[in-house]
Amino acid sequence: MKCFAAVALSAALSLYPCASVLALSLHGFVEGAGGFRLKDDPAQARDATMEEVRLQVELSQDGPADSRLFFKADLLGDGVEERWDADLREFYLDFSPAPVIDIRAGRQILTWGTGDLIFINDLFPKDFVSFFIGRSLEYLKVGSDAVKFSLYPGLFSLDLVAVPHFTPSVVPQGERLSFFNPFTNRIAVPDESLPIRKPAATPANTELALRLYRTFGSYEGALYGFRGFFHEPVGMDPANQTLFFPKLSVYGGSIRGPFLQGVANFEFGHYDSREDRPGTNPLIENASLRYLLGYERELWTNFFVRAQYYLVQMLKYGGFKASLPPGAPEMKEYRHLLFLRLTRLLRYQTVELSLVGFYSPSDEDGMANPQISYKITDGLSVASGANIFFGKKDFTLFGQLDKDDNLYLRLRASY
Amino acid sequence: MARKRFVWLSAVVLLFLPIGGLFSRAFAGTPGGAEEIMRQSVLVQFYSGNDMKTKVTMRLLSKEGGERVRELIMARRNVKTGGDQKYFILFRQPADVRDMTFLVWKYPQRDSDRWLYIPAIKLVKRIAANDKRSSFVGSDFSYEDVSGRAAEEDNHTLLREEKYEGKDVLVIKSIPKDEKSADFGYKVSWVDKGNFVLWKEEYYDKRGALFKVFTADEVKSIQGFPTAVKRTMKNVQTGHWTEVTYEEVKYNLGLADGVFSERSLRNPPKELAR
Repeated sequence: MKCFAAVALSAALSLYPCASVLALSLHGFVEGAGGFRLKDDPAQARDATMEEVRLQVELSQDGPADSRLFFKADLLGDGVEERWDADLREFYLDFSPAPVIDIRAGRQILTWGTGDLIFINDLFPKDFVSFFIGRSLEYLKVGSDAVKFSLYPGLFSLDLVAVPHFTPSVVPQGERLSFFNPFTNRIAVPDESLPIRKPAATPANTELALRLYRTFGSYEGALYGFRGFFHEPVGMDPANQTLFFPKLSVYGGSIRGPFLQGVANFEFGHYDSREDRPGTNPLIENASLRYLLGYERELWTNFFVRAQYYLVQMLKYGGFKASLPPGAPEMKEYRHLLFLRLTRLLRYQTVELSLVGFYSPSDEDGMANPQISYKITDGLSVASGANIFFGKKDFTLFGQLDKDDNLYLRLRASY
Repeated sequence: MARKRFVWLSAVVLLFLPIGGLFSRAFAGTPGGAEEIMRQSVLVQFYSGNDMKTKVTMRLLSKEGGERVRELIMARRNVKTGGDQKYFILFRQPADVRDMTFLVWKYPQRDSDRWLYIPAIKLVKRIAANDKRSSFVGSDFSYEDVSGRAAEEDNHTLLREEKYEGKDVLVIKSIPKDEKSADFGYKVSWVDKGNFVLWKEEYYDKRGALFKVFTADEVKSIQGFPTAVKRTMKNVQTGHWTEVTYEEVKYNLGLADGVFSERSLRNPPKELAR
């Protein structure tokens, strides 16, 4: 696939001079980005968290009968991993076999749900490493090789996604960011890595995701269903010293609409951990109920505040506690996470100051991401910020990243 | 049904347009008359036709010589003339917002519903920007300047009649009924006596100093609707100004209500996008 992306990229670039003749839309950017650690991290050999230059090429071509072919790929020089890479971000075909049906087939980024950086029913792959080292937001999402059917019969709308080929989320694995090794019960040392086993690409392992939605006046309601796998490796196989992605089904719903001069949203999901229904296997994440409550408001002109409260209630907690081996990290029954985003736009919206904060009172960990970005001209922009992590325990989400605080700078020229 | 009502309404409007000038003198003397003129002016500016689509180019200019360009396609549908409307906007330029789409369901009596679609992450975001005074895409136009402020929100007084660039105009002063509902302390409008086109508007801040000036620089009759195809908003306090051009303006395309939906945000149909 990487090889294909590289070939397609060079083909796309050679098309540039004749793009207008072919009525082809060709765009993209060149970006340089760097980031470094603010603290000495004994678990990390390098000071740099990001050192890369990338060229993005985006091509789209309209075809007959409302069809469209879309291609987006990055060519990437990565100083941290010391390699060149090609990354096929998206490559899909859109077509409408009937007025009430849209189909999108190919590699595509999929997003739904109402959370801001907190996902309950959006069970599509994400790249958390990109987010934690300060890449631009678009790199938080990873494409899925999928077919999406969208139906619009009238009263409601329906999205049905089939993902035959599993794509995991990217989580800290020691290369740039530290991770907690659950087999050794400590933060991994440099060059320590854990093999992760992906589910085989068999028809039975095809992931299915569904969203049924409609508006009720100004309010948007949605129901969700998912059958597939956890996208983070929350299963342990001690015999092979391997992590894996346990089977998962999720049922949920959401509502979003105006509330007290702002926008409020509520989302919930029932996570059915299908490989450990009784909850007695401490090596596999338990079932849970997850709730998210959010509220956003423009407090004064060009100043936005968003607050979220996220609750994960572990189900079968008794089973988990009884089966927990001595010395193993003890998760709490209720995990609380608070989120705050402040955004201030200045100078005709060319300067954006933002602060994103997470804090979990139950895990006693969190992170803060202050950022300033400036659009120097229509085609040139710069962004700089920091990711600061804190936590009392090594095994919590942000706690394992405690020594990975970093400062980053990105410069992008678009064409 | 909607079409029938539209035909009927346009007949009434067409009937009254030519003689509007005759009436204006009669009802201009009373506060109610001034409000009626402003109501007609809002209809002409923001409600012409049953629906409308145009290519919009905005040049954002600073006194230091800086220039930024926004290019977008805007479609609008009246749910009710003088009342609720739906807007759909597709951004074409600059690069960082290209292919973003924006959907607004506008209600004159309460906050609009707004959605923004960010194509890079395929995210449909609900925008909590309830402040109508916020700048529209970083320009000198506020949301309210783009989608209209209901005449009922202000108290209007006819100041005088005069000639504005050779046209007979009514000069009307408007003071917000609720001070907090506007970023201006009062505004003065130059409204065409014949067809209610707004030629010029001056906005004064809460201390009474002039801060923004709107001018309609070129008005064309398109399908019988007077349309300001070139307009400027200048902030006289900062020296920043925005020039707007409307091209390929079309009215009464028969856009369906369902087109102003999440489906179009994620996958803009040809009727809106081209």
